[in-house]
Amino acid sequence: MHEIRIAEDLSAIVLETAKREKLSKVTKVNISFGVLVQIVPDIFIFAFSETVRNTIAQDAEVNIEIVSVKMICKKCGNDFGVEENRFVCANCRSTDLEIIHGKELFIKSIEGE
Amino acid sequence: MKNILDRNQNKAGEVRNLLVAKKVLMVNLISSPGAGKTTLLERTCEELNKKFRIGIIEGDITTDRDAQRLKKYNIPIVVINTEGGCHLDSHSISKVLDSFDLDDLDVLFVENVGNLICPSQFDLGETFKLAIVSTTEGDDKPGKYPMLFREAKAVLLNKIDLIPYTNFKRETFNSDLKNINGQVPLFEISCTRGNGLKEWIKWISKQILSTSSTEV
Repeated sequence: MHEIRIAEDLSAIVLETAKREKLSKVTKVNISFGVLVQIVPDIFIFAFSETVRNTIAQDAEVNIEIVSVKMICKKCGNDFGVEENRFVCANCRSTDLEIIHGKELFIKSIEGE
Repeated sequence: MKNILDRNQNKAGEVRNLLVAKKVLMVNLISSPGAGKTTLLERTCEELNKKFRIGIIEGDITTDRDAQRLKKYNIPIVVINTEGGCHLDSHSISKVLDSFDLDDLDVLFVENVGNLICPSQFDLGETFKLAIVSTTEGDDKPGKYPMLFREAKAVLLNKIDLIPYTNFKRETFNSDLKNINGQVPLFEISCTRGNGLKEWIKWISKQILSTSSTEV
């Protein structure tokens, strides 16, 4: 259900940006979500369309890129993709890791005219 | 690239700075409904009430029932009703912080709304998150909700006294948790029987002491 709140925050940013850039219409919103954020794209797109109803962004197409999990090992410096929630260094087996991708909740760009 | 939750993140940063300046430890308790957050707080207050100055923020969807249960400890409690919302955010925390005398607090426990996904996405400005999971929910929770178990500073497995009556497998739970967060301390507890609470109290006391003794 966090899709709704995140969609609300996104629509606020989209509308503010559109106003600042003096757009009359927002046509596309490009965003990226990390796998770990566990957002269901269909629910998110529905929630977003509700929050921008009757605004200049109501017809905007929402493009969602899903980013898979990538980590870096703090011990040996190895960076690797994570599958099936195994957060263990594939090289040295260390669990002292940092997430570098997979937690994204980013707006990449907003298109309009 | 802009973070969609920037507004929440910025406010969380303000809350965190304030708490650091006031040397208050803030713990964000996250679990499913019914895992035992309020009972854990009851047991924790009983043990810590004499040693530390405790405050509680109760995130509750519509009632104040959890807060009523904690009233007996005579500690400051503020309820945030989310009116159906599935998580707390940093703005709601920031608003209620005014109700506490932060100079007269060592630790602030925030009982988030019962939910394993949404609360883990919203930084409240807490010192750390705590994941609480109970054996009756099944042994598959770390694997299903990796973000929470990855971010938590400690994991509490509650209701271990009920394991004989469930199909909960310790090995599955432990190996999934180890794969997700190999460094996180795990406390196996029973809030109703008292198992494991001593270790938990020792650990949380250490966290409170290290916050109150930091140089600002």
